[in-house]
Amino acid sequence: MYEFEYVRPKSVAEAAGFLAANSDARLMSGGMTLLPTMKQRLAQASHLVHVGPLGELKSITREGDALVIGSAATHDQVQGSEVVGAAIPALAKLARGIGDPQVRYMGTIGGSIANNDPAADYPAGVLGLGATVVTHLRQIAADDYFQGLFTTALGEGEIVTAVRFPVPRRAGYVKFAHPATGYAMSGVFVAETGSGVRVAVTGAGNGVFRWAEAEAALAKSMSPKALDGLALDASHFSEDIHATREYRAQLCRVMAARAVNELLG
Amino acid sequence: MPDHAHTPHAPFQRKEDRRLVTGHGLYTSDRTFAGELHAVFLRSDRAHAEIVSIRTDAAKAMPGVHGVLTAADSTAAGMVKVMCMLALKGTDGEPPRVPARSAFADGRVRFVGETVAMVVADSVAAGLDALEAIEVEYRDLPHVIDGGRALDAGAPLIHDTAPGNLCWVGEAGDRAAVDAAMAAAATVVELSVESTRVIPSPMELRCCAATYDAANDHYHLYSVTQGVNALRLQVAFAAGIPESKLTIHAQDVGGSFGNRSPHYPEHCAVMLAAKTLGRPVRWAGTRSECLASDYHGRSNQIAGKLAIDKDGRFTAIQLDWVADMGAFITPAGIASHTRNPVVLLSGVYRIPAMHGRWRAVFTNTSPIAPYRGAGRPDVNYMIERLVDEAAAKLGMDPADLRRRNAIGLDQFPYKTPTGTTYEATDVPGSLEKAVLLADWKGFPARRAAAKARGMLRGIGMATFIENTGAGVFPKDQVDIEVDANGMVHAYSVAHAQGQGHETTFTQVIADAMGIDTANVLLHEGAPDHVLIGNHTGGSRSLVGAGSVCKLAGLKLVEVAKSAAAAMFDTEPSQIDYAAGTLTDRVSGKSTTLAELARRPEGLKTQAEATIGSTFPTGCHIAEVEIDPLTGTTEIVSYVAVDDCGHAVDHTIVEGQVHGGVLQGVGQVFCEKAIYDEETGQLMTGSFMDYTMPRAGMLKHIVIDENCIPSKINSLGAKGVGESGCTGSISAMSNAMANALRPLGVPPMDMPFTSSRVWHAIAAAGGLK
Repeated sequence: MYEFEYVRPKSVAEAAGFLAANSDARLMSGGMTLLPTMKQRLAQASHLVHVGPLGELKSITREGDALVIGSAATHDQVQGSEVVGAAIPALAKLARGIGDPQVRYMGTIGGSIANNDPAADYPAGVLGLGATVVTHLRQIAADDYFQGLFTTALGEGEIVTAVRFPVPRRAGYVKFAHPATGYAMSGVFVAETGSGVRVAVTGAGNGVFRWAEAEAALAKSMSPKALDGLALDASHFSEDIHATREYRAQLCRVMAARAVNELLG
Repeated sequence: MPDHAHTPHAPFQRKEDRRLVTGHGLYTSDRTFAGELHAVFLRSDRAHAEIVSIRTDAAKAMPGVHGVLTAADSTAAGMVKVMCMLALKGTDGEPPRVPARSAFADGRVRFVGETVAMVVADSVAAGLDALEAIEVEYRDLPHVIDGGRALDAGAPLIHDTAPGNLCWVGEAGDRAAVDAAMAAAATVVELSVESTRVIPSPMELRCCAATYDAANDHYHLYSVTQGVNALRLQVAFAAGIPESKLTIHAQDVGGSFGNRSPHYPEHCAVMLAAKTLGRPVRWAGTRSECLASDYHGRSNQIAGKLAIDKDGRFTAIQLDWVADMGAFITPAGIASHTRNPVVLLSGVYRIPAMHGRWRAVFTNTSPIAPYRGAGRPDVNYMIERLVDEAAAKLGMDPADLRRRNAIGLDQFPYKTPTGTTYEATDVPGSLEKAVLLADWKGFPARRAAAKARGMLRGIGMATFIENTGAGVFPKDQVDIEVDANGMVHAYSVAHAQGQGHETTFTQVIADAMGIDTANVLLHEGAPDHVLIGNHTGGSRSLVGAGSVCKLAGLKLVEVAKSAAAAMFDTEPSQIDYAAGTLTDRVSGKSTTLAELARRPEGLKTQAEATIGSTFPTGCHIAEVEIDPLTGTTEIVSYVAVDDCGHAVDHTIVEGQVHGGVLQGVGQVFCEKAIYDEETGQLMTGSFMDYTMPRAGMLKHIVIDENCIPSKINSLGAKGVGESGCTGSISAMSNAMANALRPLGVPPMDMPFTSSRVWHAIAAAGGLK
């Protein structure tokens, strides 16, 4: 790890001001990706601005038809939250499946979606539910927010403060865990929302994406059978020592069918 | 049973556990040294390259840096040797080609992770900063990372002293007899397998520290180890110093699996730095550093042929074996993958004709050292997969084929055609026990039920025999003494890394002396006790040092009787001993061990014995269920019936079998070291890519014993430390083959990852 200074701001506004004034400073929420990367000397920062402990970012509330989760809410908080469990049980399940207990106590939803790891779980939930990402400057629709491999719509120094999830009629999330890391080798979130069926896939390719053919088929008939033989463009899927492109495509299909079964209860 | 039956104990917590799980262990990195400096290593980031130049000036000038060492230093210091324990001439008349290896790559790097330079600094951080300032200019050379391809004509040459990349070639058995038997056979089964390259990953990362006593020209090396004697012998050899100039210190060691036994370049490097700089120097590897540079295990490509007559009896076996040694030799690397398979070429079967050829080769990969089983799981994997393929080809029940060919209890001692004499064991009995425990007969119904659920179910059996306990040193010694409080202290140079010696060895002594185990303490690797004895490895410790503990306990009682007799002015034969108290039968006077120990001469003795190999055996049965949609496998049942001779502590035996079986699960289902063919880079360089087995992968295991005590040691014990691994790799792979065979999937190799299994099913046309 290279040397850096640790900064603990008292508010989001203070954090944003500090980041604006220090171009080499980095925002840290749970630090579950950033810290290991820094330990390996693959990342460097002049300052770490730690917003994870900020109380204003930790709340989880139901606001009418929406579930609003503060960006510094930990995975453990989300998986155990009665509010989440009542509104979107599939999201609580998603949080429960991230990493291990240590990671779930530290890692946060805001950190996860700001990092946008192509195999992370939360991007599937946020995109699959058609959520809105709230920052200290603006609101960004999930469809615009995720822009591929570790890339988002966030600007320089822009801080995610919350994620606003419209509560769906029903939803399901099933992932195939990577044998070494537990990240999604393929994870599929299926939601029946007020604005139609949404299917989001994580882990298979360069970033979370919506599977349009599956959405159309499930809109007609919400059953695993509706997915049989559907087109799935796997050309952008990753291929590595753990899984081939074809195998990832197969996992997408199987996880999608299992997510539909879960949605159906 | 041996003459001394042990006092039965209820399973109890291991004696060392309280200390270890409450953070009171003393591991190498727990030690601190006044004035210590920290070492970090620059390692090769390429598979094969000439070192054109190394510039260290900038690094040396960095703040907090005390020194930067390279091959210029280590070669000048004569730290250039590698110990090789195999001296046997091969069939080409040549002993093993053992290339020199300086503590730092000298002129050429030969694998990713090889030590190139070392920075010694006030802190690890300062050292890492300086590492980035070292400039190395390389000229890339073509590389080869596959053992088989290394033998190809025109393959890149790794060592000028090893033409054709051949390290050693040997043959065993009677080729003509095998050829004749093959020609006459009713059935011949052929199969090529690979016992995959895996990376033993003990929980404690590799680390060491050194101090140098200039006044006495003496080194003190603190290190993870499997035994201080073996390490001292090897490191002194590698460093070019007499053994008397080196003391090894170690207390607790967190896992080994074989790769904490050999000497490493880092040992010499920290010693050299400590001497050069006149300060203690310590190093602790990171996980990624260890994955790349710890010696790897297995990596054997084996082609096998089994001949069977019309009655289903094995008539001949032949193996052609390529043992990938990596870029350099390790002390026991060649022997474990060539000699152990020769010893066990017969498996548990009567096979009249046998022949094998072994070629050890160099590749641009991390060197290979013995890994839990050391060639025995590999040869067993080959034989047992051949047997199952034969059963399938003959349409026979694999259990019946084994019943027909296994050596029966009445046929021991059994001498194999390659000259091994197996000691008595009851494999057919273990098989019958295992078959009942696994409900072998009920399998077809379970398979049908699984099929109805859309799942593929398979069952696989493996029988095995191992030669365990072969030592490097001629005998094992144990010191034993009683202190003034009556505590019995035993000293041994076997070294536990998780085996529970403090539990078993003290129990052995307590049993021998009729005292409570709470009154016995074990000290291993105590530097003040210069004992002859072997390290912990090859499932040896209980057989060797453990059985000598019994002798030591019995001998100490005799010594105490003599002392008591002198005290009471009588003959030792007149003294009764019971539970630490000695009584003169005539006068009725009595004394205690503690009282005798308080005499000026104290109460102590030393015991020793020379102990050869024991032959544990077993029959393991695995049952698996594969989800054909994802290729994932669940191990639904596992049965292990072992002959471990006399078991001192059943809890420890179970722990060894559990651990061994799960380590086999790792190799069978997930672990594999992968080097990229094109770049020679290690693709599994962290736990993000190198998949370790998880406890949950084996939810249920049934263990039973079918023990015939060994006759070669006073306890009747046979080694059990590696049996789990040897049995499970074969049993689980056979279960996988059994599950996939009905689909027409050709025999596939480890690792049975979900991706590979799904592709194999898809290639065979999917579910039928």
